[in-house]
Amino acid sequence: MERIRNFLLLIPLFFLLVGCVEKETVDDINLINGIGFDYAEEGRIIGTILFPVFMKDQPPENKILTAEAAIKKSVLQDIQKQSADPIVTGKMRVVLFGEELSTKQGILELVDAFQRDPGVGSGIYLATVDGTAEEILKGKYGIKGNAAHIANLLDQNVKREDLPKTNLQRFLADFYQKGKTPYIPQIKKISDENVELSGVGLFKSGKIIDTITQDKMFFFKLLVDKFSEGMHRVGIEKGDAAIRSIRSSHNFELTGRNPFEVTVKIRVEGVINEFTGNELTPKITKQLAKQFEEDIARECMYFVKRFQEKEIDPVGFGHFVKTQERNFNIDKWWAAEYPKLVVKIKPDVTITEAGVIQ
Amino acid sequence: MTQIVPDNRKISPSLVFFLIHSMQIGVGVLGFQRIIAKSAGYDAWISILIAGLAVHIIVWMMYKMLRIADGDILAIHTYLLGKKAAKILCSILILYFVLLTTAVLRNFIEIVQVWMFPHLHTFWFGLVFLLLVLYVIFGGFRTVTGIAFFSVLLPLYILFLFLYTVPFSDFTNMLPILDHSIKDILLSSRDMSFSIVGFETLLFFYPFIKNPEKSKKWAHLGIAYTTFAYFYLAIITFAYFPEAQLDKNVWPTLTLWKIIEMPFVERFEYIGIANWCLIILPNICLALWCVSRLTKQIFSVQQRRALPVLALLVLVGISLLVTRDQINTVTNITGKFGFYFNFVYVPILFIVILITKKVRSHGKDT
Repeated sequence: MERIRNFLLLIPLFFLLVGCVEKETVDDINLINGIGFDYAEEGRIIGTILFPVFMKDQPPENKILTAEAAIKKSVLQDIQKQSADPIVTGKMRVVLFGEELSTKQGILELVDAFQRDPGVGSGIYLATVDGTAEEILKGKYGIKGNAAHIANLLDQNVKREDLPKTNLQRFLADFYQKGKTPYIPQIKKISDENVELSGVGLFKSGKIIDTITQDKMFFFKLLVDKFSEGMHRVGIEKGDAAIRSIRSSHNFELTGRNPFEVTVKIRVEGVINEFTGNELTPKITKQLAKQFEEDIARECMYFVKRFQEKEIDPVGFGHFVKTQERNFNIDKWWAAEYPKLVVKIKPDVTITEAGVIQ
Repeated sequence: MTQIVPDNRKISPSLVFFLIHSMQIGVGVLGFQRIIAKSAGYDAWISILIAGLAVHIIVWMMYKMLRIADGDILAIHTYLLGKKAAKILCSILILYFVLLTTAVLRNFIEIVQVWMFPHLHTFWFGLVFLLLVLYVIFGGFRTVTGIAFFSVLLPLYILFLFLYTVPFSDFTNMLPILDHSIKDILLSSRDMSFSIVGFETLLFFYPFIKNPEKSKKWAHLGIAYTTFAYFYLAIITFAYFPEAQLDKNVWPTLTLWKIIEMPFVERFEYIGIANWCLIILPNICLALWCVSRLTKQIFSVQQRRALPVLALLVLVGISLLVTRDQINTVTNITGKFGFYFNFVYVPILFIVILITKKVRSHGKDT
């Protein structure tokens, strides 16, 4: 009896609890899909938000609101004044930074707001824009809405093509990792209906100071990602071949200590998708593999030299050496040891198949 | 002194596994990684193993003492000091458990407020939660044990969800191993021990175990499982966050969940935190049960009468704690008390009781 009485006592209290927190009904809020930031005069920023408006039997319509303010949260607040429904960040997928903003002012303060917000996932994509973010968000791409289109574009390129793994957590991890610097993809608007992945932006203390172009991204991915896929065109005298890397892995080894010497072993397993020459004999296949190896060694070496010159380290050589050395001093590393670091690239290409044609 | 507990109120020895494990796992799991990494950096996983080992030794001591005194903590003290002094000493423990309950509940509410609903009222949530706790405790010790059982089994799936982070992890973060001094690693072990206390409840529910000798094995298994869970989580966390990033996250375990993406749920934290309610439920039930039993024995009041008063104390306590600083202070005080009680007081007590036993049996012989 007493148990039942106790239980009955509890029931009305549940109703009390319902009234405790603010309700957010999906139909009555604006779920931001994407957000873009651009540089305005005197250290101020322009924020552009993108949210879909769903209608019956139609693709979602992209709605855009813009405001100018000094920090991110106040951008949202200013935008709020133009919006009929409350703005919610829980379904964000992409954050875009205009070119001027990411090269001049840096994006750290803006990213901080995202890692602080419990509603924003760590899997969202950060990307820089060749142009302004506002311009890109104003286009009309795909049938799923702009933000979803851009997110899927990046997603697909990470999984199948030559864009290294990237998202908010990757960016933060690289940023906080001593002996590593972050990078994010760069996109570009080519027409009102099309955007493309145009490269990778490399950071130094929150600002982009270098960009890797589209055609070199394959080698960049080989260096920074443990496993990668992607396509590369190899040219020899007998003709050009498009080789698709099916499986690849890289391995670091500390081979010298004074000065530090790191050997990077890059193993690629590929198939030939296309060959412009007459006949694909085993000898030619071997030549192609050899040429591919040379390309890898050359391009990767070029990258490493460039990174050392600009004092950035997206590959994480500093982090790698730290894991191999006791009492590692990171300041000394950046000041004296990294510029002198010797890197050796040892590629190993195996071509396994050449398609269904003999 | 020792009241005999009827057999139908006792629990079978294997359930001690769930009681000990569920009491050790609580809100601490959500944020211990940052705290232990402060002294020993990413060598702190060694500290977890050391702390786990220490707990095994302490629990072994507890069983020895309980067997000698044949009863609970009060019986141990009575054995040594006599009735009056035992009661006075043990009443400090009432304060400790009330503080512990307050700290656990308030920490959980804080997490809900920060991560999900900033508008949640501490008082109302606390009231409903404590009513549920009272309802469970009124069911008797066996019901409390049942809650502990489910709180271990039902959220078990969460352990596997942490594997979502592996594609974004770098396990070389922990290299080189032993880059910190032994002193730092031991300091981290001490920090770790704040998170794994709770097994001292054994000193209270011992008379309720059907075949105490047989339960030893299960108690140690429970501790080993707790140590494993913390160890696993620490490895996952250390691989996912670089050290400087971990230092910025107050609840790394929750931040880990932010990477989980499932087609049917956008933010897993909402499910995880709601589930955590089930994990802290036995924490509070068992702590309040212990303190109410102690109150009953010391002040000779009915457990049923004492409980609502104690719950009210907790409710007032959580309502008074508003800022992060205040919550932290109370948590730290409770943690320190738990540490000194378990790892300093219990060993001393153990030595004293061994000597007393020697002296008395010697006295009997002559």
